[in-house]
Amino acid sequence: MIDPLKSASAIASSGLEAQSMRMRIVAENIANARSVGPSAGADPYTRKTIYFSQVMDRTLGSNLVKVKNTGLDNAAFQIEHDPGNPAADASGNVKMPNVNVAVEMADMREAGRSYSANLQMIKQARSMVAMTIDLLRSS
Amino acid sequence: MQPIFLLDLVSRHANWASFRQATITGNIANANTPGYKAKDVEPFTSVLDKTHLEMAKTADSHLDIRSNGVRDSRLNGDETWGVTYSGNSVTLDQEMLKAGEVNRVYTLDMNIMRSFHRLMMTGLRTQG
Repeated sequence: MIDPLKSASAIASSGLEAQSMRMRIVAENIANARSVGPSAGADPYTRKTIYFSQVMDRTLGSNLVKVKNTGLDNAAFQIEHDPGNPAADASGNVKMPNVNVAVEMADMREAGRSYSANLQMIKQARSMVAMTIDLLRSS
Repeated sequence: MQPIFLLDLVSRHANWASFRQATITGNIANANTPGYKAKDVEPFTSVLDKTHLEMAKTADSHLDIRSNGVRDSRLNGDETWGVTYSGNSVTLDQEMLKAGEVNRVYTLDMNIMRSFHRLMMTGLRTQG
């Protein structure tokens, strides 16, 4: 069996990877919060969602986390009346993305918090290893 | 002279603490996984009380059994601080608290190990 402190670092880095992927999806959503469709009446950008799942790693004997898949939010698009917009349909309505910036900001904060929690665990595992190695030094 | 079992005990305890650290890290990594249930390891006293007979791995197809006798147990709802709507029972604050505790006992283990090692070395040096 692998050293538990090594596997702790591996688990925490899988967490870091998952949370940074989540941050990327949030960034994509916010960047495209006002992206309309390419032609008149076309669907605009659809909000992306992310799913996590746990995976059992046999060699580490522990639960890693990975991004299972990214999906599309099937909430309804917001309709705005803007006849001057190139993406407006015959009655002057434009479909706007179903992105709520406040929700995305909350998600981003939570991703940041989880990221720093994972980072803290890596730091702690490293300090425990350093403590063990320091046993050799003081004699 | 009686053999000193203290160093063995301390290294077992340090092993238990590092295993618990890995389990807590798994909980934190899965803090946003739907349906994940928080885990913890058995308390050290109950690990110490039980003597296990270990199974040997004699063929490649055998599953790896954890050799240090520590098993993790699933926490039920009233031991964790809350279950979210997605069925996840990890609370980051609680896990960080547990991690701090693990760090504290590990530091204690290492300091005990160091001071008893120094004690033995002093004994050796004064003999010669």
